[in-house]
Amino acid sequence: MSNLVTSTPPKTKSRPTGSFQYLVMGLITVIVFVPLLIIVLASLKTLPEISQMTPLALPHGFYLGNFTETFVKAKIILSLLNSLTIALSSVIINALMGAMAAFIIARFDFKFKKFILGMFLVAMVIPFYTVEIARFQLIKSMGLYNTLYAPILIYIGADMMQIFLYKQYIDKVSVSLDESAMLDGASYLKIFTKIIFPLITPAVATLAIIKFVDITNDMYIPYLYIPSDKYRTLTTTLMTFAGDRSVNWASISACIIWILIPTLLVYFSFQKYILKGITAGSIKE
Amino acid sequence: MGISYSRQKKLIVFGFLAIPVSLLIVFMFFPTLKLFQFSVTNWDGYSASFKYVGLENFRQLILKSNDVWIALRNNSYYFFIHLLAIPFEIAVASILCGKIRSSKFFQSITFLPYVINGVAVALTFSYFYSPNGGALNSILDFLHLSVLKMGWLSNIYIVNFVLVSVSLWRFCGLHVVLFIAAILSIPNEYYEAASIDGANSLRQFTNITIPGIKTVLELVLFLNVRGALSVFDIPFLMTNGGPGYETSTFMVYTIKTAFQFNQYGLASAMAVILMILIIIFGYVQSKAIKIKG
Repeated sequence: MSNLVTSTPPKTKSRPTGSFQYLVMGLITVIVFVPLLIIVLASLKTLPEISQMTPLALPHGFYLGNFTETFVKAKIILSLLNSLTIALSSVIINALMGAMAAFIIARFDFKFKKFILGMFLVAMVIPFYTVEIARFQLIKSMGLYNTLYAPILIYIGADMMQIFLYKQYIDKVSVSLDESAMLDGASYLKIFTKIIFPLITPAVATLAIIKFVDITNDMYIPYLYIPSDKYRTLTTTLMTFAGDRSVNWASISACIIWILIPTLLVYFSFQKYILKGITAGSIKE
Repeated sequence: MGISYSRQKKLIVFGFLAIPVSLLIVFMFFPTLKLFQFSVTNWDGYSASFKYVGLENFRQLILKSNDVWIALRNNSYYFFIHLLAIPFEIAVASILCGKIRSSKFFQSITFLPYVINGVAVALTFSYFYSPNGGALNSILDFLHLSVLKMGWLSNIYIVNFVLVSVSLWRFCGLHVVLFIAAILSIPNEYYEAASIDGANSLRQFTNITIPGIKTVLELVLFLNVRGALSVFDIPFLMTNGGPGYETSTFMVYTIKTAFQFNQYGLASAMAVILMILIIIFGYVQSKAIKIKG
């Protein structure tokens, strides 16, 4: 499908591509970049510059002091490690479990199948955020409050949406592949690990990247469940840092840029897959 | 392998489903049931005991509390303005699917805000709209429009619109990318046939593009209902729901009720109401589209 999409010739028949379209896209580019540029400018300003100049004015020099200062103060390394631990472990486990569950649902008929499918569907309809009030008590009573297990388990357990996407992909893999492997005496486990999983790896990888970005950007779960200083994530460290009344906009801006770097790196390196993955879920063939 | 396929099947079905299903039960269904239970109690969130108070929490929320209605009004700003943005999102998507040069570049710009950390977005715009030396006021000075300068985050008549603008900045790109995919999935022959029949671009747009993106349109409308009713981080971080309760959305109000005011029972009732609202609105909207389509 991917090849098809990229090779499809342009659709809309607006013959002479008018300057109007460029005007619209130019305007959007400006709207997207202006707030970000202002942050970049602010991050390069010295203390007298940030308090005296207007936000639009260019700094006199190329002052990097805000970056070195916030790197230590906002514990960027610690937060990055915590964010990576949480995001990587939840994304990997979630992807594996999702693929395994999707394999069962796509290939087997068994008792309670309808019931289990129904459970996954209902879980998609229950809004994630609203359950938090009760889930918070549960996590506390399990002794997981203020441990990294809390966010990881929640990200893994409460979000199984991708099962339906994986199932779509597995359905496209011909059952005759399974059958011929079975003639050779391959076990079901082998069929999954040697045939099915390798074939859906691209889909799994795409969704994993999107999920990775979503989890590193999430503020709600780490804010509620791991308030302890040693479990700061990129998101909560920025909140804590900016919440300190003594800091100025120059250092907040530098801190914003520090925490944007990891997600932006992921975005620009995997952009093609992210855009494809976002769209894969929404389009039925 | 020596094990028969029917035995293997039992093993693998159980083995592959046991963990995800139990996690789902423990972290999703059990808390949902608990939520319904808490919603009919007067629990404060930490005491060992609580009393069942029947539907008192719901009665109080719907009949007595003004703040809940303010919160719902605030959510409706997000809902309606994002709804109004959808035609523009579709227009941008069709521009990007058209003959425009560097459309890949513009596409990645459009989507960029969505991958930016929500806290970073909130802080960036707090600076942008800041009344003391904020960027917007300086831009107005620069354009000799100083009369328009104001406390963007404290003026109760505009603060909600300001917050919605941040939400638009952050989420429109996602919708555009979804619409792009939908438009690209329409077979090209439809357009070729239509232009042979002499249909102009507008007709092609209304008769081919719009029906072709119906599924994605439904998805975006549902995301809009769910997103608008559960707005949390933008108002929480930028205004903390203030001034007063002027910008507090349903989620901000719920979280504060639970964790700051320790009225767990009441907060649970709010969460239940929110859940019901999302399901009802989502259902009604999808029915409405079915009738029209």
